[in-house]
Amino acid sequence: MIFSLVKPPDLKSLQQGDEAAWDAAFAWLWPTAFAVAQLKLQLFLPEEVEDVAIETLEELVEKVREVKAVEELKPLTASIAHHRAVSLLRQWFAKKRGAGKTESLDVPADEDGAKHDPASELSPLAELNQTELAGLLAELQRDLKPEFRAVLNDFFWGRLGYEQIATKHKLAVGTVGVYLKRGMEAMRKAGQRHPKLLKELEAFLR
Amino acid sequence: MNSMNDERFFDLAMKVIARHASDAERTELNAALTRQPELKAEYERLQAEVLIAKETLPLVNATEATAGELPAYACGRLQSKVRQTLGRPPAAAESQSEREQRMMWKWRWVLGLATATAVVVLLVVPALRTPSEAVIQVAMLDTTGVTRGADTNEAALLHQSWEKTSVDSLTSVEMLREWEANWPAARHQPVVKVVYDRAAGEVRVTGRWQAKEFSKIFPVDGSLAETLKQAKAYIAEQTER
Repeated sequence: MIFSLVKPPDLKSLQQGDEAAWDAAFAWLWPTAFAVAQLKLQLFLPEEVEDVAIETLEELVEKVREVKAVEELKPLTASIAHHRAVSLLRQWFAKKRGAGKTESLDVPADEDGAKHDPASELSPLAELNQTELAGLLAELQRDLKPEFRAVLNDFFWGRLGYEQIATKHKLAVGTVGVYLKRGMEAMRKAGQRHPKLLKELEAFLR
Repeated sequence: MNSMNDERFFDLAMKVIARHASDAERTELNAALTRQPELKAEYERLQAEVLIAKETLPLVNATEATAGELPAYACGRLQSKVRQTLGRPPAAAESQSEREQRMMWKWRWVLGLATATAVVVLLVVPALRTPSEAVIQVAMLDTTGVTRGADTNEAALLHQSWEKTSVDSLTSVEMLREWEANWPAARHQPVVKVVYDRAAGEVRVTGRWQAKEFSKIFPVDGSLAETLKQAKAYIAEQTER
């Protein structure tokens, strides 16, 4: 089935159970649900990605009447998918431990030579409930400027240094530091609005 | 030695935390932390914030993902969920006469189309068509898991509709998912899955033929036999060469 509609669907129609509106919504939200499930599960449970994404959309149907604006749907989808994936990982790790197979959790070391700790595959964000995480994601979408986000992504995930980022984005090297700092400040501000996340931070600091 | 300014401290701390720092930069940061212990708290805070940022950023990116297409087999399942959770949408306020008029137009269309189709079918299709029988799999989902009289009758109706295939009896959504995901290997024939979902009161048809996927839901508003006829006609229409 091919969907060409990329616009957000009408929330009222969704809340009334309109089939066409939901067809459009599912097509619109699928990339988010799938991307988040893949992000969390690809390493250990890749075969579960599609199922988790589908279950995410099923759960979203249950929650749609609590949604106030259509813009909330994507962050909520991401939040549901995240929590479902983390919960699945927890069960899987617990099962492995129960079967005395903890050694099999030792996956190959990453590029830094650091081994993945199973616990780190779970998430400090799992402490936030779905609504809180959805809120945090929506705030970051709104408040974290694209240019700051691009630099943060390259620095943390692209493994690029200041000079490489400067070349890639045609920025002065000094500006890279400024963008990183402003990006981190925006993230800090968003985090401060979520007391549970701060609690996680404090736990980490101890 | 002068105290380190904020920008320099931030840059060094970020490089060390992200493992981008050179030995010289690492040494410079360690020296600053020893010289100005008040920076240690800020450094640790940054470490924790980086952890959260690394966790959150990919989620924000994923929230904005646009690539990827919902698999056809999931459409039916998701629409069932919509109907089970939200019910059918309220019909637009429409008078009885408007409804009748609309139905009449619909029937005129259907009759006209049926006549035209019949002409095509009788005159043209037999000359072109080579038989290519579809592989049809049929299942009945009954989450109550109990065999009752009604179940037996319904299973019999499913059997009658697709005589050459057996009807799988599924008692859980998990079994259904597995069944739906497991497609028979048939490269030169259409493959079709038909599910009668008792709880949802619908028959779902999903199929693949000539690199295309199709799916449709048939609510069992009246009799199951009538709905199965509609589903059969739909399959025939979709799997024509």
